[in-house]
Amino acid sequence: MILGALYFGGLAILAGIGVFFIFKKAIPDQDPFTLINNYMIYWVMGDLALRYFMQQLPVMNIKPMLLLPIKRQSVIQFLLLKTSFSFFNILPLLFFIPLTIVLMVQGYNPLMAVLWFVSILAISFSINFLNFILNKNNTAFYFVIALLASFIGLQYFNIFDITPYTGVFFNSFYEVGFTALLPIALVIFLFKMNYKLLRKNFYVDGAVQAKKEKFKNYNLEFLNRFGTLATFLKNDVKMITRNARPKQVLLMSFLFLFYGLIFFTQDTYKNMPVFLAFAAIFVSGGFLITFGQLVPSWDSEYYKLMMSQNVSYKKYLESKWLLMVIGCAVSFVLSTPYIYFGWDIYAMIAAGASFNIGLNSFITLYGGALNRVPIELNQKAKAFSNTQGFNPTQLLISLPKILGPMIIFYVPYKLINFNAGIIALALSGVLGIVFKSYFLKIIENLYQKNKYKTISAFSEKK
Amino acid sequence: METIIKVQNLSKSYKADKVLDIEALDIPKGQSFGLVGNNGAGKTTFFSLLLDLIQPTTGHIENNGIIVSENEDWKPYTSSFIDESFLIGYLTAEEYFYFIGDLRNTSKAEVDELLAEFADFFHGEILNQKKYLRDLSKGNQKKAGIVAALIGNPEVVILDEPFANLDPTTQIRLKKIIKDLSAQKNVTVLVSSHDLMHVTEVCERVVVLDKGQVVKDIYTSEATLKELELYFER
Repeated sequence: MILGALYFGGLAILAGIGVFFIFKKAIPDQDPFTLINNYMIYWVMGDLALRYFMQQLPVMNIKPMLLLPIKRQSVIQFLLLKTSFSFFNILPLLFFIPLTIVLMVQGYNPLMAVLWFVSILAISFSINFLNFILNKNNTAFYFVIALLASFIGLQYFNIFDITPYTGVFFNSFYEVGFTALLPIALVIFLFKMNYKLLRKNFYVDGAVQAKKEKFKNYNLEFLNRFGTLATFLKNDVKMITRNARPKQVLLMSFLFLFYGLIFFTQDTYKNMPVFLAFAAIFVSGGFLITFGQLVPSWDSEYYKLMMSQNVSYKKYLESKWLLMVIGCAVSFVLSTPYIYFGWDIYAMIAAGASFNIGLNSFITLYGGALNRVPIELNQKAKAFSNTQGFNPTQLLISLPKILGPMIIFYVPYKLINFNAGIIALALSGVLGIVFKSYFLKIIENLYQKNKYKTISAFSEKK
Repeated sequence: METIIKVQNLSKSYKADKVLDIEALDIPKGQSFGLVGNNGAGKTTFFSLLLDLIQPTTGHIENNGIIVSENEDWKPYTSSFIDESFLIGYLTAEEYFYFIGDLRNTSKAEVDELLAEFADFFHGEILNQKKYLRDLSKGNQKKAGIVAALIGNPEVVILDEPFANLDPTTQIRLKKIIKDLSAQKNVTVLVSSHDLMHVTEVCERVVVLDKGQVVKDIYTSEATLKELELYFER
């Protein structure tokens, strides 16, 4: 957790120092500061989307507060101000403070630079408070995402570039100055609005309490075709669709689908197909990896039940494996548009999917068994809480996931040719399926061996 | 009578701290067995050992001849409700019952049949609620957990503090259920409780634990409640 925060914090500082010079070098004939202001619109929208996804609502147990002799007003103010110390508000500080200093050193008017900084800060906090107003609203989120995507798309294809227009606005904080009042007024307005909203609902049954979800039911009879595994499969589908945390994982695995775009669009990697193998794993393996690495943590809330009930490890594991395979298969089908980048790329993705299903699934399950982090299913992950996986064992276990496919591809590719590499990667997956019961047995033994440790780790309250 | 639960030299220590130490304890088949003791006496520790959720420091427990920490074959005929971690919060009560039914090879129809018997006990607050278990009140969660522990004709049923959080009507109904289980179905029922009155009323035998040791082992009679009250008054 701390490690993750430090990492991203450090990255933000470095970016804050470097961004000015990067723009200066990339486009020398324009004022870098103007360029930064132009792109600011993406930061605003991206930040809003990221916060929606990651930032926790200030839900707290207000009952004890209501009974104590504290004014409601102060509790609410405390609640709102507390959110200001969220990592999402500190991160922009870490980025914009170094940037402002760089601006001053580069000869920009110091007073106006500070004014600009204050305006940006006000916008950042406006995003913070706006997020709380919007958070319960999916439509707003998708609207922002769609807007962001279309702006980027329009700019990418040179149809329409929004950045110079919005840039004028951000630039004005520096050029004109008094426009800084606008974001400051906005942040005050949003704070007041939040306050009002909370004040109205500040009762035990009001909004500050976690919301009860409406009951959703689906017909999952079609899963019965999987026989005895259906029991667990049906349960897992309900688990994923009815809890906040696994839903987050689902969204995350969807985003992994686009991972290939980073690699496949760049010519640099065309000559280094080993990196294409790396990317191909993540295109189809998003769900498999993000879900699988938290097996059996997904069942941590009722692990004692699973351990004392008539549950066979083998069936339990096999059903999880099957779910991961289904996830991988769905991702693979969704990745069909990658054919656009050529059949070689698509063959690579197919071979990657085979590796994922046959080998990666077992490696991930093995790593999951060592993970032992209890999960609160209906709480969204706190930002960077998944960095709890940042321990030596987890690092070691992720090595074969990343290096494995690269090596399996690279050796026959170097010795014979590209197609041989792909065939080797695809065959490695088939091999895994042939030895499926053997691999499951190994993982099962690990479960048996660590049974008491896992139970006690899962029953620890966070 | 045939012994079903057999405890031998059982102890559990956390570092130097011995939380449970039972030299021998035999529970015959079909007995309703009550465990009382103050907080920290070792009741839940004993049940956890019985369910192989923690590892004994010394000794072992046999459940119908099977050493629970070495073999899992006791699971099909043993069921339990210890605390909320035995519930699956994102399921409705029905889904939860059917899930347990699936695990215990009990068909939907058989589960429905069993649930119908408990319509009284549920008092219309469990079934057809369109609510997830996590959103039910503590008392109602407990009702669901207890009934789930009776699915699939278990021979041994373990309930940790089943009376806590229940309303008076439900407590009375639960007492009847436990009595019937042991008297009519020959099910061995192990319950723990802080309520001496309930335990003496329901159980044929009451064992008092103190600091992990058996200090009293009484076959209940008219005088038992008085005896227990005197003991705990100290």
